[in-house]
Amino acid sequence: MPATALTYPLLAALSAVLLPFLGFLLSAALGKKAGNGAIAISAISLSLLAAGYAFSQVWNQEPIHVQWNWFTVGSQEFHVGLMLDNMAVLMLVLVCLIALPVHIYSAAYMKGDPGIHRYWTYLSLFCFAMLGLVVADNLLLMYVCWELVGFASYLLIGFWFTKDAAVQANKKAFIVNRIGDLGFLIGIALTYSHLGTLDTGALVAAPETLPAPWLTVAGLAFFLGAMAKSAQFPLHVWLPDAMEGPTSVSSLIHAATMVAAGVFLLARIFPVFNETVLLVIAATGAITALVAAYFALTQFDIKKILAFSTISQLGFMMVGIGIGMYPVALFHLSTHAFFKCLLFLCAGAVIHEMQHIKETHGLAIDPQDIRNMGGLRKYMPLTFAAMLIASLALAGFPFTSGYLSKDALIVHSFEWAALQPGAAKLIPYVLALVSMLTSFYILRLLAKVFFGAFSVASANGTIRPHEVPAKMLVPMLFLAGCSLFPLFSIHPLNDGHVWLMQGLTTTVSTLPPLRMLHLVIPLLTASATCVAATVAWHWYVNGRYPLKTTGLFYRLSQNQGYLDTLYDATVVRPILRLSRLLLWTDHYIVDRAVNGLAALGRSFAATAAWIDQRLVDGLVRLVGKLAWGLGNVFRRLQTGRVQHYFTTLFLLILVILLYHIVVLL
Amino acid sequence: MIPLTHFLIVGACLFAAGLYAVLARRNAILVLVGIELMINASILNLVAFGRYDKTLYGGQVFALFAIVLAAAAVAVALAIILNVYKFHKSVNPEDIKNLKD
Repeated sequence: MPATALTYPLLAALSAVLLPFLGFLLSAALGKKAGNGAIAISAISLSLLAAGYAFSQVWNQEPIHVQWNWFTVGSQEFHVGLMLDNMAVLMLVLVCLIALPVHIYSAAYMKGDPGIHRYWTYLSLFCFAMLGLVVADNLLLMYVCWELVGFASYLLIGFWFTKDAAVQANKKAFIVNRIGDLGFLIGIALTYSHLGTLDTGALVAAPETLPAPWLTVAGLAFFLGAMAKSAQFPLHVWLPDAMEGPTSVSSLIHAATMVAAGVFLLARIFPVFNETVLLVIAATGAITALVAAYFALTQFDIKKILAFSTISQLGFMMVGIGIGMYPVALFHLSTHAFFKCLLFLCAGAVIHEMQHIKETHGLAIDPQDIRNMGGLRKYMPLTFAAMLIASLALAGFPFTSGYLSKDALIVHSFEWAALQPGAAKLIPYVLALVSMLTSFYILRLLAKVFFGAFSVASANGTIRPHEVPAKMLVPMLFLAGCSLFPLFSIHPLNDGHVWLMQGLTTTVSTLPPLRMLHLVIPLLTASATCVAATVAWHWYVNGRYPLKTTGLFYRLSQNQGYLDTLYDATVVRPILRLSRLLLWTDHYIVDRAVNGLAALGRSFAATAAWIDQRLVDGLVRLVGKLAWGLGNVFRRLQTGRVQHYFTTLFLLILVILLYHIVVLL
Repeated sequence: MIPLTHFLIVGACLFAAGLYAVLARRNAILVLVGIELMINASILNLVAFGRYDKTLYGGQVFALFAIVLAAAAVAVALAIILNVYKFHKSVNPEDIKNLKD
C-alpha cells in the first residue's frame, strides 16, 4: 500500500518537478522583464540540487511510492502520485543535469533575441513536463506530462514563428506526435479496461490478466506512442525538420527531454511487452538505426547530420528495450544525453560564429551548411576539443562513455540473438554496421567543419572566426567531462563495472553471458571505428572523395529516402484534396441547404406577418372602426334642438308600434 | 248616435295636426299650441271611450284632470318661453341649441 505522507526525498523530488513550473509561471507573469533568464536558470539549478538530494536518498534503496486521490468517476478512484525508484531518480537527475548547462548556454546563445522572454518561459515548461513524466506513478499522469512535453516542444520548435519553415516544422512535429499519442491513449484504454488501474506498478500483473492478443495490441499501441516521440522509422520525419528551432532547444530535445520520453516510457511499462512486441521493437530499432545512419552520411546541414545521428542512436536504445535489457537502453540514453547535448552545443557555437561572420561581412551564406565551414580548429580550439570528445563518444571510442554503453548494447544484442531463431539473428550485425557508419559520418562532420581550409575565408582573407564567449564554453566543457568514462565506470573498458546498470539490473532477468563476446566485440567495433575514421579522413580531409554525387544510393541518402515526398504524396496531398472536397461540399451543399432553409423560414415568417397585420390587426381595427362609426352616427342625433328630439322620439315610438303590429299580430 | 270611430278619426286628425305643429313650426308659441292640440286629441279620446263607463264616468274624470294639467303645463311652458326669449331674443326653436351638452 503506497504511503500518503511526505518524506524528505519525496519533498525534494516534488520540488525538483515543481520549481521549473514555478519558473514557468513567474516568467510568463513577468513577460519581457524576465528576459535575462535569471528565473529559469535559478529554478533549474535549485531543481538540480533537489533532484541530487532525492537521488542520493533513493538510489539503491527501497523505492518510495506516494499516492493521493485525484478524482473519482463513479466508483472508480483515480490517483496522482510519485514513484521514486532507481529509474525515476536517475532520469530526474539526468534531465536537470542536462538542462542546466543548456540553460546557461542559452543565456549567451539567445542573447539579443527579441522574443527571449518567451524562450525562457517555454524552456521552463519543457523541463517541468519532462520531470513530471519521469516521476509520475500512473499512466494518466504520464500521459498528461507526455502531452505537455509535446506541446512545449511544439512551442520551442516554432520559436521563430515568423519563419515559414519553423511553422511548418512545428506543425509537422505536432501532427506526427499526435499519431503516437493516439497509440499511447489506446494502450492506456486497453490497460485500464483489463486491469482496472493505471498504476505503472500494477502493470506487472498485465501478462497474466490480459488475453494474449490484447497484450500484443496494447504493447504495440504503447510502442506506437514511443515511436513517434522517440522518432523511430517511419515516424522519425519530424525530428530533422525540428532543427528549425534554436540550436540550444535542439540539444535539449535530443538529449534529455523529448526523445528520451519514448524510451523512458517503454522502460517504465516494460512488463507489458510480450515476445512478439519485443521483437517488433528490436526490429524497428535496428531498421531506424540503419536508415538514419545512412541518411546522415550525405547531409550538408550540420544540425541535420546530428538529428539523424540522434535518430540512429535512439534506434540503438530501442534495440536495447527490444532485447529485454532496458537498463542497457537507459544507460545508453544517459551517456547519449551528455555527448549528444554537447554535440549540439558545439554545433550551436559554430553556427553562432558563422551567423556572426555572415552579419558582419554581409555574406549570403547558410550558417548551418558545413560546405561553408572548414579549418575552424585553428580559430575555435576549445570548441573543437569539446566536439572531438563528443564525436569520439558518439563513435564509441574507448575511454569515452559512448564506448561503454554502445558496446554493452551490442554485446547484449549478440547474447540475445544467440537465443533467437531466424532473421532476428541479423539485428546485432546491423548494429555493428551502424556503429561503423556512425563513426564515418561523425568524422566526416568533424573533417568538414574543423579541418582543411576555411572556405569562406579563402574568398575573403580578412575573416577570422573567434572562440565563443565563456558562458557558452563552460557548459560545453562541463558536458565534455561528463562524456568521458569516469562518470559512469571506474574501469574504462569493461561495462560490467557501470554503477548505473548495476542499479537498474536488479529487476531484470539477465541474459546468459557469452564471455568471449566481451573481449571480441569491443575489439572488433573499435577497429571498425578506426577503419571508418581513416576512410573518412582520407576522403574528406585529404580531399580524395571517390563517389559520384549523382548515384542512386547517394541521392536516396541525400533526400532522406524520399520519405517526405512519399508522405506528401500519400498522406498530405490526399488529405488536402479531401479537405478541399469537404470545403466545396460545405460551401455548395451544406451552406445552400442552410440558406434554403433560412429562406423558407423567412417566407413563412413573412406570411405570418401578413396574416397578423391584415387579418388579426384588421379584425381588431374593424371593431374599433365599427364603434367609431356607430358613435359618429349617433352623435348626429344629439343636435341640441328640441324638435329633432321630438322627431326621433316619434319615429322610435312608430317603430315600436310597427314592431308590435307586425310581430305580435 | 255618433259612432265611436268618428271621434277617433277626429282625434287622430287633431293629434296629427298637433304633431306636425310640434315638429315643423318655427315659433315656440305655435309649438306650444301643437302640444295643446295633441293633449286635446287625447282628451277627446278619453271622453269618447268614457261612453263605456256609465257607472263611474272614468273617462270624463280623467278628461277633467287632463284639462287642468294642460292648463298648468301651458302656464309653465309660457313662462319658459318668456325666459328663453329674454335669453336668446328669439322664439324660433331652430335658434335654440343649448339642449346639447
